[in-house]
Amino acid sequence: MIKMIGVSKTYSNGCVALSNISIGIDKGDFVFLVGPSGAGKSTFIKMLFREILPDSGQLFVNGHNVLALSNAEVPFFRRTLGIVFQDYRLLPNRTVHENIAFAMEVIEAPHREVQKQVNYVLDLVGLRGKAREYPAQLSGGEQQRVAIARAIVNKPSLVIADEPTGNLDPDTSWEIMKIFSRINRSGTTVLAATHDKAVVDAMKKRVIAIECGRIVRDDVKGAYGYEN
Amino acid sequence: MAMRIRTFEYFIRETFISLRRNGLMSFASISTVALSLLILGLFLVIVLNLNHMISTVESQVQVSIYLQDDLKEKDIRQLGTEISQMPGVTAVNFVDKNEALQKFKKRLGDQQGLLTALGDTNPLPNAFEIKVDKPERVKAVATAASKLKGVEKARFGQEVIEQLFRITRMLRIGGFVLIIFLALAALFIVVNTIRITVFARRKEIGIMKYVGATDWFIRWPFLLEGMLLGFGGSLIAVFFLSQAYSALTNQIYKTLTFLPLIPKYPFLTNVSIVLMIIGTCIGALGSSISLKRFLKV
Ligand SMILES: Nc1ncnc2c1ncn2[C@@H]1O[C@H](COP(=O)(O)OP(=O)(O)O)[C@@H](O)[C@H]1O
Ligand SMILES: [Mg+2]
Repeated sequence: MIKMIGVSKTYSNGCVALSNISIGIDKGDFVFLVGPSGAGKSTFIKMLFREILPDSGQLFVNGHNVLALSNAEVPFFRRTLGIVFQDYRLLPNRTVHENIAFAMEVIEAPHREVQKQVNYVLDLVGLRGKAREYPAQLSGGEQQRVAIARAIVNKPSLVIADEPTGNLDPDTSWEIMKIFSRINRSGTTVLAATHDKAVVDAMKKRVIAIECGRIVRDDVKGAYGYEN
Repeated sequence: MAMRIRTFEYFIRETFISLRRNGLMSFASISTVALSLLILGLFLVIVLNLNHMISTVESQVQVSIYLQDDLKEKDIRQLGTEISQMPGVTAVNFVDKNEALQKFKKRLGDQQGLLTALGDTNPLPNAFEIKVDKPERVKAVATAASKLKGVEKARFGQEVIEQLFRITRMLRIGGFVLIIFLALAALFIVVNTIRITVFARRKEIGIMKYVGATDWFIRWPFLLEGMLLGFGGSLIAVFFLSQAYSALTNQIYKTLTFLPLIPKYPFLTNVSIVLMIIGTCIGALGSSISLKRFLKV
């Protein structure tokens, strides 16, 4: 599903964000990427959907050789991914339903498919009753659930999330993680970067810890492993 | 197919949302495009009409020979015979000075009042109007005729043509510079309008990229918006230009009937199509430039 071989990234200001990372993540895995702020988690995630390119190494995601993709191929590669951000990134002038449908419309999905699929994911995240509301009318947790619904509406085989609970209180964070868990159980690979110790410890999933751009630990049923 | 139509609907909807949201800028763009195209259109119409006049005059293989005032009827008849025997001359027609004045009055139409200042005097000379078989011969015939005794002057279209050519040349150069300048101004404002639109929609664009919309899918609404701005501007220009030309031709037909203007149809239709194409192209080019610079897809 994900294979990284000797990947390094140095930003133009000389900051070494990742150095010689090699890792494999199998289909159906649920993986936490943990580490202190500035460790390189976001850089790692952005590389996966080709927002940034590494300086060296090899990267395979969902069967695509990411570094060999032409610009014209990138959109089609991204359709195999669902991406969730800390700040939700919903469109304020569109309803919940429209925000989710947007992700399907812009890849020219058939109309009937859009209706069916949007209702399905709204049920999955428990927001069917709020379909006609606007993001500003929702709590942070609900907004993140909309963002997750949008990320999975095109049936990606891999969902990646960068600090999806970073702006949320512990109870809400826990709900969000349960949704990811549910998505994972249906066969979708999930990779979430976080520094939410409580969540990671409770979920008992594979944990990859990075610090200063290096993998310092990779436990199959791990815990966060730091004292925050 | 249904999918394509929905996509098209999406593009149209997004385009109009942008135009509305960006009302003031859209208005400024359309106005600038309209103004530049209107001026371009005016130059086009004027230059084409001058060319039309030139070819009209050129096709008249006619020479006017003005006679001295004190000639006897016998001398005039003699001259007529001499002229008709010159090589290339196909017809000789004597125009009496009184007859010429009547003709002139008729041409002036409503504005005969201009002539009252002359009182009873007739400033026009007696003349021969002669036809020549080929335009190339006109000059030779005129020169030869002007040397005959009793001939005051021989005139033919060449002088008018040269005058018209001079005006056309000046208009072409001046118009070209002005039009380039105005087209650049129009382009500049379209680029900026689209830039503002792109900026206003950067969040949407970001999401579209993350979920895998293709570059062209993202670009189309902006491109359409630019084309619509240009097209809208050209419509306004076409409207005013048509009104102005209709008014002008009506006026000319009433008063200066001898001035050979190009008839309204299909001339105006053709000019309008050209302006609409140019307007749309300016819009498309403007948004392409903007997208290249401001839309990192
Ligand atoms: N665009 C950038 N330009 C320069 N340095 C950056 C950029 N983005 C991140 N960095 C640096 O790279 C390092 C890793 O950052 P990041 O991947 O965002 O870490 P994390 O998400 O774990 O907090 C940090 O030191 C950060 O300052
Ligand atoms: Mg980060």
